[in-house]
Amino acid sequence: MNAPEQPSFLSLISGISDADKSMKVSFIPNERGNVLLCAVCTIFIISLIAANVLLNCTTRYNQASNQVRSWNEALYAAESGADIAFNQVRILATSNSLNAFSTSNGWTTSGTTYTSGTTTFGTNGLRTSETVDLFYTDPTSGNAWYRIRSKGTSPLQGLKRTGMDDRLSNGNRFVANGSTRGDGDTLLRKIDFKYDHFTATYGPTGDGTNKAIVAVSPAPQLNRRIELIVAPITPFEAAIKVSGNFYGLGSAAYIDSYRSSVGPYDPTVKTKPSDYRYADSQSGTVEIDNSTATIMGDIYGNLYTNGGTATKKTLNVHGTIDNNVPFTLDSFSIPSYLPTPQASPTRVNANTTVTPPAAGTARAPTVYLLSSFDKTLTINQNGSSDTYVAIHLTSDFTGAIDVKPGVHVQFFINGNVDVKARDIINETGYAGNLQFYSISPTDGSSQHININSPGNFVATFYAPSADFTMNGNPDVTGAIIAKSFYGNGNTSWHYDRSLDFLGDVTDYRIASYVEDIR
Amino acid sequence: MKLTHHSHQSGFTLAEILTAMAIAVVIFAAIITSSLAMQKSFNAVDNYFATHIQQIRIIDYLNRDVKRALIVTTSADQQTVTLTIPKYVVQSTDQDGQSNSSLIGTMRTPTISPTSSYQVNYDYVGTTTPATSTVVYSINGASILRTEDGVVTTVASSTDSLVPKDSDTELTNTEYSTMSVTFLPIFTSGNVADERTGTTVFSLAYLRNKRRG
Repeated sequence: MNAPEQPSFLSLISGISDADKSMKVSFIPNERGNVLLCAVCTIFIISLIAANVLLNCTTRYNQASNQVRSWNEALYAAESGADIAFNQVRILATSNSLNAFSTSNGWTTSGTTYTSGTTTFGTNGLRTSETVDLFYTDPTSGNAWYRIRSKGTSPLQGLKRTGMDDRLSNGNRFVANGSTRGDGDTLLRKIDFKYDHFTATYGPTGDGTNKAIVAVSPAPQLNRRIELIVAPITPFEAAIKVSGNFYGLGSAAYIDSYRSSVGPYDPTVKTKPSDYRYADSQSGTVEIDNSTATIMGDIYGNLYTNGGTATKKTLNVHGTIDNNVPFTLDSFSIPSYLPTPQASPTRVNANTTVTPPAAGTARAPTVYLLSSFDKTLTINQNGSSDTYVAIHLTSDFTGAIDVKPGVHVQFFINGNVDVKARDIINETGYAGNLQFYSISPTDGSSQHININSPGNFVATFYAPSADFTMNGNPDVTGAIIAKSFYGNGNTSWHYDRSLDFLGDVTDYRIASYVEDIR
Repeated sequence: MKLTHHSHQSGFTLAEILTAMAIAVVIFAAIITSSLAMQKSFNAVDNYFATHIQQIRIIDYLNRDVKRALIVTTSADQQTVTLTIPKYVVQSTDQDGQSNSSLIGTMRTPTISPTSSYQVNYDYVGTTTPATSTVVYSINGASILRTEDGVVTTVASSTDSLVPKDSDTELTNTEYSTMSVTFLPIFTSGNVADERTGTTVFSLAYLRNKRRG
């Protein structure tokens, strides 16, 4: 069967059919669609050019974007690892401390150094590993400081290609030895295309030892390393700190501060900027983890709320108002490190005086376990040494306590406190020498501390589960941490900045952050 | 009346050749024009991407340094940023590195000062002097420079007139730095200000050493 006759070239371009021209032009059987072919070729060539343009642009751009992404994700990995380690450190401050850095979670322990396994996470296979070590112990409180070193690794997707940083090229760029690297993106991101430049140049721990050429797997990849210092949070970091409602103080009251290690309290310093102690007089800070607070009196310090609407009133708050400072107060339980209690006394239902058999230390005090306390307990110093005492009262405190000079007392109470201010006798003059701790009820029941007039007191209260009420117009030196606070008297309140260093750790915070950018 | 069929006819008529040449000229003109346009387009896109990558590099440099800085200050025109950064590693130019070469390349152990406050410092080894670097970001012609203790590094360089801007915000217990980098593409077609605005890359970084307790 013959193929249908094709129209001639001229018929295509002129629009005149071959039949109409049959008298003038002969039929040429081997002429075919050259114009169509040329058009297709042209389109093909132009398409190739366009595709090449797109390919060139997108390939290099995508590669550069990949490198940027991986570099940033490596930091995310390192910070995630630091969070993992930080979480373990925070467990140390809880009653569950024995479960910190457990082998079941992949940690290995060597002395006071803890090393994690490698954690892989995310859709891009990010990896992190951490080391935590105890590098400093506070000589006053015995609280530990920890150092976290975390390494984050991000595999670089795609082939081993350079990015779009060639405009700055004038040096060696992808050698194993990182100290001779060039510039541009390579200098910043330090991509390990084949070998681990850090191990080759600085050693695996970065201290210059055990340098080696080590191939990276998977290759290529980026690593980033950070070091965090984790500091203990002590109980008494503000004059008043409550997690709930706050009302106070009286309209003529004031809260200021001083530092007992510098000198005794002087009420005139807070209004004398030229005095060298002035800086220490402006830390009468009130922290409220609530949006509702009734603030009266003068605050020579900062005022923090959580979503509150407190605005600065020059006459009231002399520091900074920040309405976006949320925090939590965890429930409190008695420390597990306390030694075995003394055999006697076991209760104070008559006026009692004790002289501890040993001076002890903040971490190893003389312990008295009491079942009731409604009379006066006087605590003497052991010789001339600073004497450390811990009292654990398993019921309510309705008596009085007299702390002689040179004595440091931590008073742990399971029940409520109902006393007059004059019943709290601290002859040392330092609030840190008489620390009240209200142990949080495990059954969720309410707890309160009522301090009534008359009298003044020098002490600290840490009661995260208790409602604190103070009546009258006492002169107070110390700090209060409670669930709520109510006080309507014209109190003069002095926070001792030396309290920053006292008390057992209640939590940890990150105090320093550095990145090893080598 | 029909003409004889010539089976061996192989040439073109003058009209055909002229027509074909005209078409060929048009086609080649189209190819050349397209190629030039594509080349220009490639240059424009490549330049845009390359400058964009440099934008990101400036942001990444600044971000990295801000996060680990102790102090960040910016000039009034927001184009010069000065940072104080702890010196984590002993360098050969440091006083402790010069007095004891074995310390060079080692990491400093931070010191805690419990007498006044709990500031963490990376001191020069054997002293109580904090070891810090001063890093300055600035513009010099078409280049963005990073100067650390006098050592200059060109962070980015482009004829597209890169302009970084940084502002520092210090709150009660925290501090952050906002950064934006713009450039003016070589191939602009309209309002220059709008062209620049359209290239803005923005970032915000908190100083990790100044965080809420």
